[in-house]
Formats: sequence, structure tokens, C-alpha cells
Amino acid sequence: MIAENTQTQMRKGILEYCVLLIISRGEIYASDIIAELKSAKLLVVEGTLYPLLTRLKNNGLLSYNWVESTSGPPRKYYTLTPLGTAMLAQLDGTWQELSFAIEKSKNHTNP
Amino acid sequence: MKKTLNINIGNSIIHIEEDAYELLTTYLIEVKQHFGKSADDFEIVSDIENRIAEMFTEILHTQQKQVIELEDVQVVIGLMGSVKDFEEQSEEDPAADYNNAYSSAFAERKIYRDTDDAMVAGVCAGLSHYLKMDVSIIRIVAALSVMLGGSGLIAYLVLWIAIPKAATRAERMAMKGEAANLQGFKRSFEEELSNLKDNLKNANEHLRPFVKHSGNFITEFITILGTFLQGSGKIIFKFIAIILLLIGSVLLLSDFVALASILGIWYSGAIQVFPFNIVNGSYLTILSVASFFTIAIPLLGVILLSIRVAFNSRPIHQMLSYGLLLTWLCALSVGIFFSAKIGTEFKEEANFTQTLPLKTYPVYTLEIDKTMFFSKEDSIQYRLNSTDFIGKIIQKDPQRSSAAPRNVTIRIEKSEGNVPVLVQSYSSQGRDFAMALNHAKNIRYDFVQQDSLLKFGPEVHLKKNEYWRDQHIEVVVKLPVGTKLRITKNLERYLNNYSLWDCDEENFADDKYQGVMTEEGLKCQIEKK
Repeated sequence: MIAENTQTQMRKGILEYCVLLIISRGEIYASDIIAELKSAKLLVVEGTLYPLLTRLKNNGLLSYNWVESTSGPPRKYYTLTPLGTAMLAQLDGTWQELSFAIEKSKNHTNP
Repeated sequence: MKKTLNINIGNSIIHIEEDAYELLTTYLIEVKQHFGKSADDFEIVSDIENRIAEMFTEILHTQQKQVIELEDVQVVIGLMGSVKDFEEQSEEDPAADYNNAYSSAFAERKIYRDTDDAMVAGVCAGLSHYLKMDVSIIRIVAALSVMLGGSGLIAYLVLWIAIPKAATRAERMAMKGEAANLQGFKRSFEEELSNLKDNLKNANEHLRPFVKHSGNFITEFITILGTFLQGSGKIIFKFIAIILLLIGSVLLLSDFVALASILGIWYSGAIQVFPFNIVNGSYLTILSVASFFTIAIPLLGVILLSIRVAFNSRPIHQMLSYGLLLTWLCALSVGIFFSAKIGTEFKEEANFTQTLPLKTYPVYTLEIDKTMFFSKEDSIQYRLNSTDFIGKIIQKDPQRSSAAPRNVTIRIEKSEGNVPVLVQSYSSQGRDFAMALNHAKNIRYDFVQQDSLLKFGPEVHLKKNEYWRDQHIEVVVKLPVGTKLRITKNLERYLNNYSLWDCDEENFADDKYQGVMTEEGLKCQIEKK
């Protein structure tokens, strides 16, 4: 239970970071984000992505355009806002720190 | 065949099967409830809806289908994730408490009628869910209570009206005590799918429109009666049919036996018993045969019908059934004709009165005497030599003609003048007055005075070859004022309007009532204190 809780906390932060990373590569549709996250084995169900996207959008990190689709209703294509790009840069730094911290911790505990 | 609906989801028109629609609606409601606390709920939900619409379109396109089925919705929900999955991911989890409260509110067991698992209207099945008991136990108890005076039937009807039927899926789940959330729904769907595979007929029944749409008790009653008669009622009817078959066969057999014995006894010349002595001898054969057919043919009809119901056999040949009907009508007509003919013999009444003087005693004892007085005619009838019985008393069985109406009435009155007399009034019915008088003349009644003992016969005797024409006798004992009476108990049923046993106990000695004749008529000898 405690392990699960920690895992969830870790995943949550990293999920947000990964979503921003994926979107930073260019305009992208939600289900493509999901496909990538699935292949990265970070996300299992689509439903969890939408609240995240909505929150990021409301925080001003993302914006979207409606794009007509050939097979169905129009789709939301997400892009990073300048604020989002800045945030991603910050997170990049944080990730460096974190991976360093983990590397360090591992080496320290397992000499 | 399944009912489909058109839905507009994410601005796409999708054909969807009814059960799939129900699951989808439940899912979306749950999603809305989950995101209900946050202000962004509309956007998130519409994102999810859009995505679902897209998935449906893809499914329809790739699988070359026209309509979304239950399995497709299950696949989509699997991809989209259930609310439980969202909870793991959501940050502050405000919806969790709300959601739990919602679930627990519905997890409470509620009583509904289970029309899916119904024998009649699903009352027993509903009770079994509510009480968590096996349904067969409740059904057996219910069936027993119906047999015990039918109280169960009333209780069943009351419960039927009082308990609502589980019409929606949520109600069906509340009935079974399952939480009305997606997990519960999934379970109920899986159950239903397995049921579908097990029994296609059942599923058809449960999808019948009346289960869902009829709100009216009467229409529901009639429809359920219809299905009952086709379904489980059929077994009960077969059971009843077999019972009827057995009863009918026994009755038919007894009808044969009765015909044979009546004719047999009649020709042996010994039929002097009520009610057979109503029928004129010349009519008896034809009347017995006619009554035999009048009874036997409907019995045969019941038997044939029972066989048909019980063993699903084919109906009998039409000509044969018409023949039977015709025979029955003939027999009935003959029966009615002779009955009417005999009935006319009761048209007129005649009576005559005979007065016998009584020897005077201060105290009389009145009793019913069951000994038989052998007349010359009797000895011929019984084929006995009367001289063999001189000085011997033959006890007649008083029960012999208990079926006949009582034909002796005794009255005790004050006599005018000081002479005790016995007035016997004989009467009878007949076709005309002369016949009636003739019948009355042929009545024989035994009355003997042995000193102060007055012996009355228990019944009138008809002379040989006389038929029962409501012959009866009224015996009036007229006694002077001051005469004391000792009346035996067995005489009371012959007395009209004297409640002898109202007197005090001192008035009884040796099982005899002690009375006295006064100016006002018969009184208790010892007055009430």
C-alpha cells in the first residue's frame, strides 16, 4: 500500500513531464499522446489523460486547436504555450537533478 | 433481434443496441459524478465523450458494422478506464468520498419484484433477494400457505400490488444488494450474458416490452397470467389434469357400478328405499340409463380433455365428439321428461283424518317403538312365514331409511271435553286428488296403546308397490287437563314446537321428560323457580 502510494506519486509527476515532452515535439492529438504513453508503459487507460490535459491547459501550459477529422468528429490538437515551454525547461532541470539524485543514492547504497 | 437506439455522442450519430446504451449511460453518469467536483468537469467529460465517439466510429468503420454492441462498449470502457482507475491518478481525490457515499447508498438492499426470475409476478424471487434466502424455500412456503385456506393467495396479491417491480438495471441491482456502480453493472452484464447463453428463451422473456413498459397492475396481471399459463402454469395444469383424469375415471367407474347395481337391485325387487321409491317401476330402467349417460358423457369429456392437457395428445375425432354431445342431449331430454312426469305426481295433496279413542289413565308414557309389527303383507314382502315369529319381537333398524324425509309428526294438545283421543291425519301427494287420497289410504302407521304406554312408530310404511309421494302422518295426542306425561327422549325429534329440555332438571327421571297438561297446553310438571 505504501509502495503503491509512492509509485503513484512518482508516476504522477513523471506523467506530467512526459506529456509536456511529447507535446513539445509538435502539435499532437490526445489519442496519439495516449498511444505514446502506452508504448512507454506509463499510462494504461485513456480516461486519466483528459483531466491532466485539462488541468495543464487551465494552468496556461497548453493550448489546442480544433482540427477537422476525416473519420469522425473534429479533434483537439494540443500545443505548448510559451509558458508551457518555460515550464518544460524548468522540469528538464528538475529531472536532471532528480536523476542525479537517484544515481547518487544508488551508487551510495550499492558500492 | 435487438432494439437499437440512436445517440448523439460528441456530435456523431451512433446506432447502439439497447443494452450497450444502458452500459454506456451508466459509465458516462459515473464519469460525470467523478469529475463533478471540479469546475472543468464539462470539458473533461466532453473530451471523454468525443474520444468515445471517435472510438465507436473507428469500430464501426474497421469492423464494417452498423451498430455498436455491448462488447464494443465494454472494450471502449476498458480503453478509457473506469472511475476506479481515475481515482488512482487524480491528485486531491475529492470525488472519492462522494463516490463512496453514492455507492454505499445504493448498496443497501431494497425490495423489488424480480420479474426476470418470476414464476408468477416475481414476488417470491424478490423476497428471496431481500431476505437472502433460497427462492425455492420461499416458493414452497408460499405454495403451502395458498393451500392452507388461501391466505397466501391474498398475501401474494397484496405484495404484488405493494412491491414495485425491478424495472431498471439499477433497481435490479439494488434488489440484489449490489452497488449501482460500474463494477456492479459489469457483473450484472456478465451474468446476463451467461444467462443469454444458457437460456435464450429467458432472455427473450426479460426483454419483453411489458416488463419494462406496463405500469398498470391489471395489464401486468393479465400479461403475466398469459405467460404463466404458457410457462410454469402449464406444469401445474398438467398436474391438475392428471388429478382430474384420476377423479374422472373413478367417477365414471362408479357411474357404471351405480347403473348396474340399481338395475340389478331393481330387478331383484328389493328397492323400497328412498329415494329410489320415488320412481315408478316402469320408468326406472330408462331413467337410470338416461341419468347414467347424463353423468357419464361429461365425465368422459373431462377425462378426454385431461388426457389432452396432460399428454399433449390430439383432440378426439370431431364426429365422435358431436355424437357424444348428441347422446348427452338425448339422455338429458329423456331424464328431464321422466323427471317432469314424476314431478306431476306431486301436483295435488290429499289428507284424511282418523280419530282413535284412548283409554283414560292419569299418567301416560309416550315413546317411539322400534319394534316391527308384522302384517301379512310384510311377511310376503320379506318372504317369511309370519307364524314362525309369533311371540317374538323383531327389532327394526332405525337407520334404514334415514335418507328419507321425516314423515311422522307428533303433537300433544289439550282435549276438548275430558276424553283422551288420538287423531291421525294421513296425507300424500298425487297426480290428482283421487290418486293422492289413494296414496294416503295406503299409508300404514303403527300406534299401540299398552295400558298407559303409548307406542308410536318411527315412520310410516308404504304398502307394497307404492311409490314415495311425500306420504306423511300427523299424530295429535289430545289429553284432558291435569293428565301427566312421561315422554322419552327419543320422541323429541318427532315433536313440533315443544322445547322439552328447557325445563329444570327435576323434570327428568329415567331419561323421561315429566310434563303436565294445563289449560295453556303442555307444561313442565315442576315449574321453574
